[in-house]
Amino acid sequence: MNVLELKDFNAYYGNKKIINNLNMAIKRNKITAIIGPSGCGKSTLLLSLNRMLEEVEGRTEGQILFNGKNIYSISKEEIRRRIGIVFQKPTPFPFSIYKNLTYAPIYYGVRDKKRLDEIAKGKLIISGLYEEVKDEIHASALKLSGGQQQRLCIARALTVEPEVLLLDEPCSALDIKNTANIEKMLLNLAKDYTIVIVTHNLSQAKRISDYTAFMLDGELIEYDETHRIFSFPKDKRTKEYIEGIYG
Amino acid sequence: MMKRIQSALFALWISVSCVLTIAAGLFIILYIFIKGFKTITWEFLLSNPGGIPIGVEGGIFPAIIGSLLLMLISIVFAFILALATAVYIVFYCESQRLENTAHVIIQCMAGIPSIVLGLFGYTVMVVSLNMGRSLLSAGLTLGIMIFPFIQVRIEKAFREFSKSVLNASYSLGVSKVYTIFRLILPQCRRDIVSSITLAGGFAMGAAAPIMLTGAVIFAPAPKALSSPVMALPLHLYILSNESISMEKSYATALVLIAILITINIFAITLTLWRKEVKR
Repeated sequence: MNVLELKDFNAYYGNKKIINNLNMAIKRNKITAIIGPSGCGKSTLLLSLNRMLEEVEGRTEGQILFNGKNIYSISKEEIRRRIGIVFQKPTPFPFSIYKNLTYAPIYYGVRDKKRLDEIAKGKLIISGLYEEVKDEIHASALKLSGGQQQRLCIARALTVEPEVLLLDEPCSALDIKNTANIEKMLLNLAKDYTIVIVTHNLSQAKRISDYTAFMLDGELIEYDETHRIFSFPKDKRTKEYIEGIYG
Repeated sequence: MMKRIQSALFALWISVSCVLTIAAGLFIILYIFIKGFKTITWEFLLSNPGGIPIGVEGGIFPAIIGSLLLMLISIVFAFILALATAVYIVFYCESQRLENTAHVIIQCMAGIPSIVLGLFGYTVMVVSLNMGRSLLSAGLTLGIMIFPFIQVRIEKAFREFSKSVLNASYSLGVSKVYTIFRLILPQCRRDIVSSITLAGGFAMGAAAPIMLTGAVIFAPAPKALSSPVMALPLHLYILSNESISMEKSYATALVLIAILITINIFAITLTLWRKEVKR
């Protein structure tokens, strides 16, 4: 079952074409990895999926269907609530851990203190952060380490109960231990959420994803089950990339 | 050799300039303090001016109250407009041309001589809008004067706000309004407060904009927005210009300077504190 479907999709910054005629379907409750060299349009593709591309002055052509409905027929607030995103650099809000987690639920009308506490605690447990911060939940989120901040951002993205979670190289600034933590968490999350992760780290894509898409110069070169991509790539360029020819 | 003379001259130039500036500042404050301090009594601070010509006897109580009220009205008025303008320019304005135009206009406003603003306030508010020479007319005129001062600082604070944190907020699907009120304003609060206090001090020290619009030689402490008021800078000007009482004009100057310094120290403390918090 496809959650997201891209049809003849193009994306531009100004007059520069970043994504060229892309067709792709993303399966529900699976982890899909997007790999490819720097500047191939992976991040742009991710930003297009929940209309965040508009915030960085990009524009698109073609269709993206979310549960069969064109995302441009849904308000950008609604689409972003249902398709969350976590960026490469952790972006905690400069207030307490607790307020980071209640920021969006309060906007969506949750006023009950007990319900807010539940949301905050629940998402901290999912993100594996609860044991580490349970005694200082009202301390500033800026005091957390980089890895903890990134897990907080994932927890925060989950507070609005999205269906899809997009991650843009979430581990690129983190050490091995934090990366392992986040990977473990993503594998858990895949039971309830659809995950799309952009990554530079091929072994990460291999470890956690069910499907892998390889992009090059704005085009989708190959898209298949992960083990097929890594074991029997059909395209020569895919083979070269996973063997380490491109940077 | 040449290089060493050059750097020695440069060092001399910067240190002498620095010492001269600080000395001049201290001299002014000390001079006014010495000349004015002996005249300051509770009675001077808390009673109405009296005698003929008025101001020879009595105190400056209505002028202190008048100046504080003028400052309050001007900062409330200017802050509301400045905040809205900054929010519009930074978060809503889509056209670069409109944004540039707004910036040019705001810069021009900052450059208008204060006496011209006074004349503007007189024609528009006192005469055309029939508000009379009043606390309100004068306060609003001062508000126009400090508006660019506050607007520029608030806009700068908004622009310094991290774009990626802003996008993180939008990516949760929350609205712009919510983001502005819940995320950005609380973070920029200290910048905003310090810009308001500095601007308030600026408004309080200005005599030209209020001479034609509301400040008078004598009035009791105002009871309504439509009453004319006394203000410290104008009172000081009358006392010394008409040679009414030099002692009392020094004492008035001392009170004015003391209030302004207090306001400035308050604003600076807030700014410094904010920097420490950021680190």
